[in-house]
Amino acid sequence: MVSGPGASLSEESTHDVADPAEGGVNSTTGKAIEGRSLRQIAWRRFKRDRVATAGGAFVGFLVLVAIFATPIVSLIGHPIDAFNNDLIDPTLGLPLGSFGGISGEHWLGVEPTSGRDVFSRIIFGAQTSIFVAFLAALVSTILGAILGLAAGFMGGWVDAVVSRIMDFLLAFPQLLFSIALVSVLPDSFFGLDGRLSRMAVLIGVIGFFGWPYIGRIVRGQVLSLREREFIEASRSLGARTGRILFRELLPNLAAPILVYTTLIIPTNIITEASLSFLGVGIEAPNPSWGGMLYDAKSYYQSDPTYMIIPGVCIFITVLAFNLFGDGLRDALDPKAH
Amino acid sequence: MVAATAALALSVTAACGGGGGTDSSNGGAKNAQNAALTGVLNASDKKGGTLELWSSQDVDSLDPARGYYAFVWNLNRLYTRTLVAYDAKPGADGMKLVPDLAGAEGVLSNDGKTYTYTLRDGLKFDDGTPITSKDVKYGIERIFAQDVVPGGPVYLMEQLDQGQKYEGPYKDSDPNKLGLKSVLTPDDKTIVFNLAAPYADFPYLLAMPGAGPVPVARDTGAQYGSKPAASGPYKIESYEPGKIIKWTRNEFWDATTDPLRKALPDAINMTITTNADDMDQRLMAGTADLDAAQTGVQAAARTKILQDETLKANSDTPTTGFIRYAAMSTAVAPFDNIDCRKAVILASDPTSLQTARGGPVAGGDIGVNMLPPNIPGSEPAYDPYGRAQGKPQVDAAKAALAACGKPEGFSTVIAVRNNKPAEVKTAEALQAALKAVNIDAKIDQIDGAQASSLQGAPDNVHAKGYGLIISGWAADYPSGAGYLQPLVDSRYILKNGNFNFAEIKDPSIDALFDQAKTVDPAAAAALYTQINHKVMEGAYILPFVTDKALNYRNPRLTNVYIHQFWGMYDFQALGVSS
Amino acid sequence: MFAYVVRRLFNVVITLLVVTMVTFGVFFLVPKLTGSDPALLYVGKTADAAALDGIRTKLGLDDPIYVQYGKFLQGLVVGRDYDAGPDTTHCAAPCFGYSFKTDQEVWPYLIDRLPVTLSLALGAAILWVIGGVGAGVISALRKGRAADRIVMTTALAGVSLPIYFTGLVSAAIFCYWLGWLPPPGYVDFAVNPLEWATNLLLPWITLAFLFAATYARLTRANMLETLSEDYIRTARAKGLRERDVVGKHGLRSGLTPLITVFGLDLGSLLGGAILTETTFNLRGLGEATLTSIRQNDLPIILGVTLFAAFFIVIANLVVDLLYAAVDPRVRLS
Repeated sequence: MVSGPGASLSEESTHDVADPAEGGVNSTTGKAIEGRSLRQIAWRRFKRDRVATAGGAFVGFLVLVAIFATPIVSLIGHPIDAFNNDLIDPTLGLPLGSFGGISGEHWLGVEPTSGRDVFSRIIFGAQTSIFVAFLAALVSTILGAILGLAAGFMGGWVDAVVSRIMDFLLAFPQLLFSIALVSVLPDSFFGLDGRLSRMAVLIGVIGFFGWPYIGRIVRGQVLSLREREFIEASRSLGARTGRILFRELLPNLAAPILVYTTLIIPTNIITEASLSFLGVGIEAPNPSWGGMLYDAKSYYQSDPTYMIIPGVCIFITVLAFNLFGDGLRDALDPKAH
Repeated sequence: MVAATAALALSVTAACGGGGGTDSSNGGAKNAQNAALTGVLNASDKKGGTLELWSSQDVDSLDPARGYYAFVWNLNRLYTRTLVAYDAKPGADGMKLVPDLAGAEGVLSNDGKTYTYTLRDGLKFDDGTPITSKDVKYGIERIFAQDVVPGGPVYLMEQLDQGQKYEGPYKDSDPNKLGLKSVLTPDDKTIVFNLAAPYADFPYLLAMPGAGPVPVARDTGAQYGSKPAASGPYKIESYEPGKIIKWTRNEFWDATTDPLRKALPDAINMTITTNADDMDQRLMAGTADLDAAQTGVQAAARTKILQDETLKANSDTPTTGFIRYAAMSTAVAPFDNIDCRKAVILASDPTSLQTARGGPVAGGDIGVNMLPPNIPGSEPAYDPYGRAQGKPQVDAAKAALAACGKPEGFSTVIAVRNNKPAEVKTAEALQAALKAVNIDAKIDQIDGAQASSLQGAPDNVHAKGYGLIISGWAADYPSGAGYLQPLVDSRYILKNGNFNFAEIKDPSIDALFDQAKTVDPAAAAALYTQINHKVMEGAYILPFVTDKALNYRNPRLTNVYIHQFWGMYDFQALGVSS
Repeated sequence: MFAYVVRRLFNVVITLLVVTMVTFGVFFLVPKLTGSDPALLYVGKTADAAALDGIRTKLGLDDPIYVQYGKFLQGLVVGRDYDAGPDTTHCAAPCFGYSFKTDQEVWPYLIDRLPVTLSLALGAAILWVIGGVGAGVISALRKGRAADRIVMTTALAGVSLPIYFTGLVSAAIFCYWLGWLPPPGYVDFAVNPLEWATNLLLPWITLAFLFAATYARLTRANMLETLSEDYIRTARAKGLRERDVVGKHGLRSGLTPLITVFGLDLGSLLGGAILTETTFNLRGLGEATLTSIRQNDLPIILGVTLFAAFFIVIANLVVDLLYAAVDPRVRLS
């Protein structure tokens, strides 16, 4: 997709790659430092950033909602697929009452035509969005970390090939290929039901196209780290490559990987919503925010509430993740701002 | 039928939503909703002006042999004449075939197996060359070239091939490319069709655009649709796919040879837009005359029209001839058991299915049986499962489940085309209603473009366990066989492109179809009524709605009426007043 | 310099070949694996086996995939002959073949849709570069003050809003409720330049908003970094006017990295175009992409992908050359 990590990536590349191993200590302004760990310092810094904390809190809240979507919805008592003919004007297909049928019973109104409860569907949509975005980010991170490490550490033709692939993927019309892949991949496999296998496809595809962002960062970091003394030292002590990679390099990469994984999540949310909006994401009757927006396209004049609700949900969620990610980056890597 | 837009029959007998005074004193109906259903609005003979049609959907093809959308067949009346054609009249009169290129109705001989037509004098194409019987034969032969010009109906091929394995004119060794043996052209005016067996519906096949004349010299095969030859009053001046089609007068068309067509406007445009909402706005603002696809306005405009009396008076809600339904595959357990099928019909919620299709005015009437209202032999009141009252019958459904031996319910799969939003909505509504009786139906959205190999391939249906297959159907010609035979005759079960989704194999149904072919229309209608009863009694198909479309007409239009065969305005009759 | 350009052009060709192979693989191989048949798209409702066979032969779908691919490449380079029925037609290079769905030739079809997407992309690009960079510069110069905060908040909102939501909301407000703008559509520039602009205004703003937000954030970061560098301090110390310091030194090196980003963004621009065109019902290349994918219309999918990839690759080449021209530290080698 268009924004998120692309922006962060370039922003990153405009200054020296931060070095979390020592940067945290060296660059703290002024005050005396008494053996505080990097994590503590970062945490203190993060806590001071109220906007980021708010973003983080909202993210935490959303994750809880996503995990407990099923009990929440059954507690409220409006299953996502329960039709309510009595709440719909049969001739026009629109919800009865103003603002899309918002009432004490249906907090966010009901869906045109079917009368299904919008609140329940939003909750389940959140589950879809959050799960897909997180797991896709995980896929990107794992792929990106492994390939980035390999490219940076091994150099030579491995580096050449991986870098080429990353350049290629980054300059590629990704949405086009995501649409294509999602629409040609089978609807159900591994015995998963429609919704889960669809989510798996989305996670795979979105995750796959996201790895070069992480890969580039990791490769850059490794390039600068591998010439450092501590690597030299362990190498001269006869450490094996595996040990150097996983015990020496990886811990030092944790901070930037964490930051960029966080920043890739909001992009993934938008991508998932876009694919569902284009009709190749989560399929009916399973709710997704993008799918609801696509539906709402037919009603945006007659029932604008139905369009505004999922749109605002996407906006707030993505915003919260961006705020959280920015804050995290500032905390771990103050040079970035 | 091939697409949502393909609508090929309609009823005036169906209750028309809300409407009001339809005072139709012979050609002078008063403006009101649905006034154009029964009479001619603004009857006029004034020529001139430009008719501005709009469409949010491009034509499938302007090649008469390749078009299958109903509105494209309707548009074909502007530039393609056929031996016989549907009369240019509102109401039931429009369902009758009258001679068009032919000077009189076909002469039947040889025990009903030979049809002979004689062409009128003075017929000309738009380049001035005369239209001969050989052009008609060549046009029909093109249908056989399914590798080059596919897409259209192939009924004529089925009737006329008779074992010859004719591969179409492009692979024809005959020097004149007229090698099809069952059709003879003894002279330039006469054309003779020799059938293998009597077939009372045959003239309907000759009224399809694919049976129109094509001059061999102007046939460009696969590219013919970009500039087809015109035999009607208009010729295609230009066609920019996805943008606009322009018709201008065919100077060589002679009104004295054509009792059917009025040819009022000097020019006709069809502007293709991607923005259906914008098109609706233009219709209501009077800058566009009609939506050519005639599938009904969008949700936004629907709200405006139905809430404003003035706008409402300029609209009609004709029945389109489609029935939307779910077929239950008898080859997929537990639908091999009639009681399980009945349980689904009884448990379904008629109202939510109707709302999903657009509601009682813009969507259609609750479907109660499988013959659309004006196919001869239909009984709009025949409601064996009590669906018209609008509520699901949960107790009866549970009883049926118990009778089926599945009192705890069962699980099944609904196969629905992903490119038809309204069908997906009906699938969701059906799923929700079935849940109430513990029938767990998963929705499988199949690639709509591949429906003929997914829903229409029994092997795939069995493998995927598609118990419920959602589809829609309208007749290609107005007879019980034209509507029901592909859906319920066991001999129509195909390996690919099957429409007998339920895989009904009832010899008594098959026999009734055979019998109907040989008797007069009234007797045939009675037989089709029987078939409809058998289908409903077998609980093979759950009808959702008999389709309607809310269409808006610009008040400046003259000579406006709904043609019953298409369930649309008769495009060729329209004129513009200013 | 010359050798560099030649080598890059060679790379362009290789990249495009890879793109065609990947696309071919995805769209010809995967359908084969999942068992869907493009020939079915081509026939009518009643698809009898003989007709299907005929069509498969005619479209060459029975050939092994490398033969099909070879024929496709051949068409691109020297053109191909197609059997149109009564006679064969020659499809001149670059021949992308004929649509499975409509029998239209693909190349003119793409050319026909190009102006829409080009208008959309160019207008949006101008808006977002001017708007984004301008806002970023202001924000950097007013760091920490109200203007900075407003710009940065708006930018953050911008990157968090999906195009289609902004698009739908703005269309609802400006076209239908207020009626200030015509419903988005495309009027050819040659027909009526004013209508061309007013019709595209909303799509431009919608698409540009997202990118502008990114650019504003980037510009701000780059500017701040540059302005804190030693040579800027030197320039100030020398007594140069602030306008010159910012204009000559700050902007130049602060904005150079943006050029690279611009090149990268062209790839995502097609994604943006797909979404914008879908939202506003514009009939451009983005919409063509989506429709052709939905209909499995392989020749068009291949055409659009290759077309887009070509633009992206060429644009990246231009960007790199430009980069060298702007930044004297970069030497082409």
